[in-house]
Amino acid sequence: MPQHPSGKQPVVALVGNPNTGKTTLFNALTGFRGRVGNYAGVTVERKTGLLRTNLIASPVEIIDLPGAYSLAANSADEAVVLDALCGHYEEHSAPDVIVVVVDATQLARSLFFVSQILEIGHPTLIALNMVDLADHAGIDIDADSLAKQVGVPVISVVANRRTGLESLITTIGDTLQTHAPALVEHRLPFPECIQEELAGLTAAVADNANPAARGSAQVELLQALLEPEGYHESVMRKRHGDWISADLESRRERIRAAGVSLAQVEAGTRYDWVGKVLAQTVRCSRPDRRPRSEKADVVLTHPVWGLAIVAVLMAGCFQAIYVWAAPIMDAVDIGVTASGGFLRSVVPSGAIQSFLVDGVVAGVGGVLIFLPQILILFLFIAILEDCGFMPRVALLLDRWMRRLGLNGQSFIPLLSSFACAVPGILATRTIANRRDRFVTMLIAPLMSCSARLPVYVLLISAFVPPTPLLGGFLGLQTVVLLTMYVIGGLVAVAVALALKATVLQGKPAPFLMELPGYKWPSAPTVLHRMYEQGKVFCVSAGTIIFAVTIVIWALAYYPRPASIFASHAAMRTEAKETHRATLAKLARRANPAVTPAELPAQRAIATALTEIEAREAAFTALIDRNETQPGSTAWETARSAADADIAGIARQHGTAGEIALALHESRAALNDRLAEIDRAEAGSLLRQSILGRAGRWIEPAVRPLGWDWRIGTAVIASFPAREVVIATLGTLYNLGGDQSEASEGLRAKLRTVTGPDGQPTFGLPVALSIMVFFALCCQCAATLAAIKRETNSWRWPILTFSYMTVLAYIGALVTYQIASRMI
Amino acid sequence: MAEQTLPGLKAGEFGTVSSVLDSQGSAKRLADLGFVHGACVMMVRPGEPCVVRLGGRCVGLGGGHQQSILLSPE
Repeated sequence: MPQHPSGKQPVVALVGNPNTGKTTLFNALTGFRGRVGNYAGVTVERKTGLLRTNLIASPVEIIDLPGAYSLAANSADEAVVLDALCGHYEEHSAPDVIVVVVDATQLARSLFFVSQILEIGHPTLIALNMVDLADHAGIDIDADSLAKQVGVPVISVVANRRTGLESLITTIGDTLQTHAPALVEHRLPFPECIQEELAGLTAAVADNANPAARGSAQVELLQALLEPEGYHESVMRKRHGDWISADLESRRERIRAAGVSLAQVEAGTRYDWVGKVLAQTVRCSRPDRRPRSEKADVVLTHPVWGLAIVAVLMAGCFQAIYVWAAPIMDAVDIGVTASGGFLRSVVPSGAIQSFLVDGVVAGVGGVLIFLPQILILFLFIAILEDCGFMPRVALLLDRWMRRLGLNGQSFIPLLSSFACAVPGILATRTIANRRDRFVTMLIAPLMSCSARLPVYVLLISAFVPPTPLLGGFLGLQTVVLLTMYVIGGLVAVAVALALKATVLQGKPAPFLMELPGYKWPSAPTVLHRMYEQGKVFCVSAGTIIFAVTIVIWALAYYPRPASIFASHAAMRTEAKETHRATLAKLARRANPAVTPAELPAQRAIATALTEIEAREAAFTALIDRNETQPGSTAWETARSAADADIAGIARQHGTAGEIALALHESRAALNDRLAEIDRAEAGSLLRQSILGRAGRWIEPAVRPLGWDWRIGTAVIASFPAREVVIATLGTLYNLGGDQSEASEGLRAKLRTVTGPDGQPTFGLPVALSIMVFFALCCQCAATLAAIKRETNSWRWPILTFSYMTVLAYIGALVTYQIASRMI
Repeated sequence: MAEQTLPGLKAGEFGTVSSVLDSQGSAKRLADLGFVHGACVMMVRPGEPCVVRLGGRCVGLGGGHQQSILLSPE
């Protein structure tokens, strides 16, 4: 196992454009044992791992930095790359070696970035990745010549096949040994005025040095100089003082006066250099061949076909979540039920058994059961991301997103939010326009995330019949599930429009995104992504849900006042007394010599009784076999048939039969009464519990939504993390009576629970109302924290929470009021 | 002939970038992506947004950006 990196080990940073296989290389070097941390103050992941190899004496810490196109810091991710490479983070020193991962099929765009990295001045080497694909595309790269032209070592690798890794590791080791900047001096021929102003700026910064400030690298000064009011200028102001803005502006004036375009000069100079390097190193044997990606794009970015493909993919994904996952879920369900039964058999009944079975197993198991579906959702998103289709989806939807006042770039964060809003909110960092970015963040939590899925699936499978639609292609259950996703989407549209019209006014920025080449998704990368997300889900199930379950269970279990036990014990005694009195009366009628206790053993009576009980057992068996609900027509029919048969049996046996029948009825009445008392006792205990009292206090507020106080309590308990609701419902309904049936799954239990009036607590309208509430409510502390961090203000998370809670309440109210009148 | 902008290209047509207007405040981003004087651009799919190829990379561009990329008259 990797030790805790102390910072003493040499550090190697991996950088590169997005989609160059940087993460694949990271995983290949560290053996998939990366640890994820954060950079101080930003939510960008800091992924580190240890490279242990006999090719280098000591272990090396590898950092996987976010993908970046440029050090111009157009996005928060790029700013992190620059700061990490320049050593601006106090707690992490600058890397000892920078490995730039370069996509061999996209050499031109990668070399632009390489030329910026070289200006940082650290020892650098180039990992020329995907040389196999370049070879296939007829691109012949002379790596030795490239190394000579650029001035740093170049190593050809195929990261996903682990080719060339040894050579890369050896070169890293050599560079660590010599620790000399690999290149003599990398100076691009910028126009003279730029060179002069840059030298002047360097001197000015040195003269006015703030002793506390860290030095700025040349490349940072260049960016500050070339982009008025840009990210770098604000950094320079913080680092060196406000005077620098005026200084920069006067330098820019001189550059403009010299007839040099601030925007074009850097790119122009760098691309000239790139062109010269390419001319020396690359031969294209099939220059006329259209890239395969372009052929695929003919269909995939087509405004009609492309969108149709996106729609089919999404529908297929939702269907898969429902259909493919079912058998696995059933297996997990059986496992959960079995562990509950096992615990019930080994742990003596009482508080501990109740806690383990009703709390822990029901709660954690109730969430784990949804792991297969969450993995399918992540599989889908990981494949789309890895094959390069995601930016195309953004492109296809740009026109539509624009109508909402957003642009296509908002689509990827929103799509990620279907898995989880937190990475979705982080993904908004690629959106350059602040207002577009904030609107996207504020509506991202309306996308139905994977934590809502358990709630939907539980309620849908319990209350929506699996009627096939469209000739069996879709089921009614899938349609209801899709509807929940659509509701979130439609409300998001309305909210986006409202925000754009009020607090975040402004036209959306035009679309601008690179479309990376398509590639086959790499199985290890996709599986690793699924594994990581699955792990996060399980850990949350094992910690947050476990903790909340304990609290909820305790609040619902205690106090247990003796007065309730005493009053119900008295009721039991009374019921038994009534039965005994009936027996005595019957005994006197049959034979005064027989005591009531001996009565059932009298031969004639016993014969009749056995026959009656056999008929009764047949009825019970029939009801169980067909799962007939009490009160249904089928149940009534079966009951009258049984009653008629039993009356017939009684008549055949004459007086003995009459007595046996009376005896049977009295016994049945006693058993019913005792069960009723048990339920009433459990119910009173729950009502008297701390949670019960609090729940009944809020009940008037949730009654119009069709909820009883238990649902209301469960929903409120799930505000920190919505997946908690399953565990809470399980605890509440298990504790609230029906203890004997607790071995059944929660799904079956929800169907059968009844309120004090004997009516089922849940029905389709209630289920729909709960689902709509969950679809619209922001029951996730992690999401609100992410919005707070990203916007750096409490205003936006508070706004998000308030508007979503209000919408959820209204949505659930309308749903219940309409559904309960229609169904 | 007057200077042409990117939307003037049909699918499969090539053009040469003469300059990039800074109307959207992202001229430097466009330049860094490769829209520099003399760069050869091929229109892959015209439209809103369009897809162009330059220097081996594909870029999706919305209306405002398309208008600000000027092409040299052929």
